[in-house]
Amino acid sequence: MNREEILGAINMLCGDVFDNNAVNITENTTALDIEEWDSLTHIQLIVAIEKHFKIKFTSSEITGFKTVGEMCSCVKTKLG
Amino acid sequence: MEISFEEFIVQRITERNPLHSKKIRKNLKRMKGDRDFETLSKTFYDKYDAYLQRSAKSREFAVDSYLKMIDDFTVETVRFGETGKYSSTSFAEVNARVYARPEVMEYYMHGLLLTQFIWVHHFELLKFYSAELTRVPGGNKKYLEIGGGHGLYVNLAQEILSGNWSFTVLDISETSLLMAKNFVQGSGVKFVHADVFTLPESEKADLIVMGEVLEHVENPKELLVKLGSMLSNDGRLFITTPTNAPAIDHIYLFRNTQEIRMLIAEAGLIVETEGVFSSEDCAVELADEKGISVLYSAFLRKE
Repeated sequence: MNREEILGAINMLCGDVFDNNAVNITENTTALDIEEWDSLTHIQLIVAIEKHFKIKFTSSEITGFKTVGEMCSCVKTKLG
Repeated sequence: MEISFEEFIVQRITERNPLHSKKIRKNLKRMKGDRDFETLSKTFYDKYDAYLQRSAKSREFAVDSYLKMIDDFTVETVRFGETGKYSSTSFAEVNARVYARPEVMEYYMHGLLLTQFIWVHHFELLKFYSAELTRVPGGNKKYLEIGGGHGLYVNLAQEILSGNWSFTVLDISETSLLMAKNFVQGSGVKFVHADVFTLPESEKADLIVMGEVLEHVENPKELLVKLGSMLSNDGRLFITTPTNAPAIDHIYLFRNTQEIRMLIAEAGLIVETEGVFSSEDCAVELADEKGISVLYSAFLRKE
């Protein structure tokens, strides 16, 4: 799976979690750019990404993500 | 001029964890309209500031402790989302992970203390507890607290209860006792390092307070029965415990508030008054249905 496909999948998951299909994320998007992205939805998004890609983030990854791009990189590394 | 403790908290959380600062700003906006909030929070922050100074600790230390605790909660909540279970299930596990590690206990206790005036449901609980304390009859009476944590409950009880009360705080953690002792400072509270199960039933109390302990034990019913046996005839037991609240030292999972009520009844106790607060800005019923954490509290008496 390439980076663009990963970003597309995360975008779809964001739409579900934030209950807003108009959400359009880029690699530079941070939680501060999206109103619905808060502590609670952040956790829901992490769980949704793990389930979708069948991966597991480490504790420091979970608390360390600053941008969507960092999430994409981490997912890509785990998928190999 | 030095900024207020509250402004400092918001500033530092915004720098260190911008995502979490969104939640804190929302919470503060909700609480600002409350007429008790300004007075109670100011008294608390003055006391906490003084405590930090006495302990040679800084506001930075306090907020960073809180943020460490938030990181722990975040990780535990993700794992809970994956498994539907708390990550630890035995006392031995959490003892090794938390209670036996003073450095973890310290940041955890300071973190929890800081939640009182930045989490809406914790503030609401404090208000409920304070209001109910004013209705407790005075006299020559005994206050016993199990798991005194940071010392805030006993401190409020001392300020609010009328009559001639003796105050005892029991905890299995020495770090926790030391913190409560320093927070309450010089106020005639007896601090005891012991397990409640070692106390004889003849040791009756008129008000037993146990904030957020049931979720830390393997058998909460056994603990409630024990506390019931230690209540004087017209004594009251105040308990608080959360549902669906994954944390590094929580082992007993209540999935909804009804499970807590059932346990209380099974332990032979009767609910006098309840204060039930959702951790998110939604009704308790909806939180129960969606598995969002709810903080349950109640004053109980014997059957």
